[in-house]
Amino acid sequence: MPLLIDQRIVTEDPWQLLDQAALDEGSPIPENGPVAVPLIWYRQHREALQQRNSPLGVIVNGDDDLAALYADHSQLDLIAIEFPTFRDGRGFSIARQLVRSGFNRQIRALGHVSRDRLALMQSSGFNAFAINDERFQTDHLQAFSEISVNYQGTTADPRPVFRR
Amino acid sequence: MYQYNQIDQTLVDERVEQFRDQTRRYLTGELPEDEFSALRLMNGLYIQRQAPMLRVAVPYGLLSSTQMRKLAHVARTYDRGYGHFTTRTNIQFNWPELAAVPDILAELAQVQMHAIQTSGNCIRNTTTDPYAGVAESELEDPRPYCEIIRQWSTLHPEFAYLPRKFKIAVTGATEDRAASQVHDIGLQMVQNADGEIGFEVLVGGGLGRTPIIGKSIRKFLPKQHLLSYLDAILRVYNLKGRRDNKYKARIKILVEALGPDEFRRLVEEEWAHIRDGELTLTDAEIARAKSFFTLPDYDANAASADAHASLSDSLATDIEFNAWYRHNTLAHRVDGYRIAIVSLKPYLEAPGDITDSQMDAVADLADRYSFGETRATHHQNLVLTDVRKGDLYAVWQALAANNLARSNIGTLTDMIVCPGFDFCSLANARTLNISDQINEHFDDMDHLYDLGEIRLNMSGCINACAHHHVADIGILGVDKKGEDWYQISLGGSSKEDARLGKILGRSVPASDVAITVEKILAVYVDQRGEDESFAQVVQRVGIKPFKERVYATAH
Ligand code: HEM
Ligand code: SF4
Repeated sequence: MPLLIDQRIVTEDPWQLLDQAALDEGSPIPENGPVAVPLIWYRQHREALQQRNSPLGVIVNGDDDLAALYADHSQLDLIAIEFPTFRDGRGFSIARQLVRSGFNRQIRALGHVSRDRLALMQSSGFNAFAINDERFQTDHLQAFSEISVNYQGTTADPRPVFRR
Repeated sequence: MYQYNQIDQTLVDERVEQFRDQTRRYLTGELPEDEFSALRLMNGLYIQRQAPMLRVAVPYGLLSSTQMRKLAHVARTYDRGYGHFTTRTNIQFNWPELAAVPDILAELAQVQMHAIQTSGNCIRNTTTDPYAGVAESELEDPRPYCEIIRQWSTLHPEFAYLPRKFKIAVTGATEDRAASQVHDIGLQMVQNADGEIGFEVLVGGGLGRTPIIGKSIRKFLPKQHLLSYLDAILRVYNLKGRRDNKYKARIKILVEALGPDEFRRLVEEEWAHIRDGELTLTDAEIARAKSFFTLPDYDANAASADAHASLSDSLATDIEFNAWYRHNTLAHRVDGYRIAIVSLKPYLEAPGDITDSQMDAVADLADRYSFGETRATHHQNLVLTDVRKGDLYAVWQALAANNLARSNIGTLTDMIVCPGFDFCSLANARTLNISDQINEHFDDMDHLYDLGEIRLNMSGCINACAHHHVADIGILGVDKKGEDWYQISLGGSSKEDARLGKILGRSVPASDVAITVEKILAVYVDQRGEDESFAQVVQRVGIKPFKERVYATAH
């Protein structure tokens, strides 16, 4: 699955993302290397995960209760936000709230991620995008600059137009 | 009016090219149908019964004559020579070719127009009082705030995929002419005890299949917090609004489910994080927005004895002009001026429709007599807001020559009507034939004048695009075993006393709509006291007498 980070195509993704289905089927947590697991699973197995001494991440979606996550994400190096469908826009607000809560490491968009929403996702706080193989084309990088101006401000420069 | 700067222009220009590329990718099969559908809707493009339909934004209803001429050009070149003004003060074109839409958008961009967010599950065009800036009872002109909201909401990265569409209306006068209580957010300008002007914030109004009047969640919001508060409301809605069922996805359902108090608590909690942050409006920004809506250069001689005499003379000699003056013009704040309403409700034409040559004619009149501007109204008419009294006769003559001077504003035939089955693929029934039927049945203007102010709204299905719930007489098309039937309700209002109409009883067949309306009006005439309007009588006597008359069995 192609991955874009900071507007570059990344070939090596050190992260292993384990979704709930894989965990339910008994997939073991790899001994080494960065791992991300669903938020609920993380809450249940926090201590074991932290003992691995490798970077940790969580996978969240709009149905999760995120208040505790916003209050403390100091142990996490990646938060992946799932877009279950093209029309589900909750992930935009979650990214926004995460940035506001001070999270400044990787925020990765997962699930229904495609070209025409990349720029909006980036402005809302995402800095990494996992795109399905069949939808990916190298010209996707241009999507970030299709509209070069904005009124609202972005994560990089949060000032709305009237404060610049 | 507002003039684009480099940023505004770049945004619409680049948006056109972005959409051109999306259309290309869709037509070559690269972009899947469901994604293109969401993307084109955010650019105002529906696929309808006849052809695609393109809805062009008219921000808060204000159009320059240059823009009006461009709309005429689009109608002539890319469509079949006409457009349709909607209740949300936008204009729709019913027959464009999908492949030509990027070119239409490029033409619009030349005159600072676009179709961005006129459809789709995003923040739509902000609407306001068509008499903003000239209304007598106005606290403050709401348009600078509409423009501030327009900018904030345009291509908002976080709020482009909301659970459902989102509509905001702002009003600044004591009369509510923008139906603000039936919008997702209604902002009413109010003054607090210290004399400051701010906004009362209503949320969760809306019609459709679950009609609800908006609830006040904040009595006074200082102006500088306008955007941060809207941001907080939208974020709560984006995160908590239902996404499992599109019929339950509007914010009104969320507000009802949580209760207004809990909803307010969530908004205030979110707002606490951002209230004094970057979105806080600066005095400079408010002043900048206001600088685009200054008073025009009114003619100090407009109220001269000569002007007055010429008007009185025309009123005395021309009874048709006299009727138009009484029904289609209104008092203006400035002595010597009147507000003139251009009726888009001519006899036996689709309400809200306007041809290319009519648009050109209105643009010429605006240039000559009304500082080059026109407004579109919630009632699907146009307004020339600043006409000198001495010019009214000339304006009327030109309008009459273009079939735009029917003196029916505020009367029964000044209906809001959606396109219905003839154009809309969601429709259950036709509407345009029924508006013709009502027009034919009530073709005696003196009778209409005697009946007085009556709002009749008609929608072709429960989506309620024509706001039938909040009309004195609401008509809703329903489908009964393949036939068109019409359900009638009475006693609604979208004004400051907003309330939902009550259903009269079982629906009536297409052939009986006008005759049923006649029975309803007969009850009114029987019951009315001196100067009592239809709305007042319905409020006083309830719907029972109307019901009895309409459903009385024939002897
Ligand atoms: C012909 C194409 C049209 C289609 C497919 C269409 C579709 C819809 C739908 C599905 C809704 C309900 C949304 C909801 O409640 O969640 C709606 C609402 C609305 N439409 Fe349309 N519409 C069309 C034309 C128009 C026109 C011509 C007007 C103006 C006359 C209009 C004005 C409105 C308004 C004001 C609402 C909001 C009603 C409310 O407060 O809930 N629409 N439309
Ligand atoms: S009310 Fe129904 S029929 Fe009329 S335009 Fe809206 S969706 Fe179409």
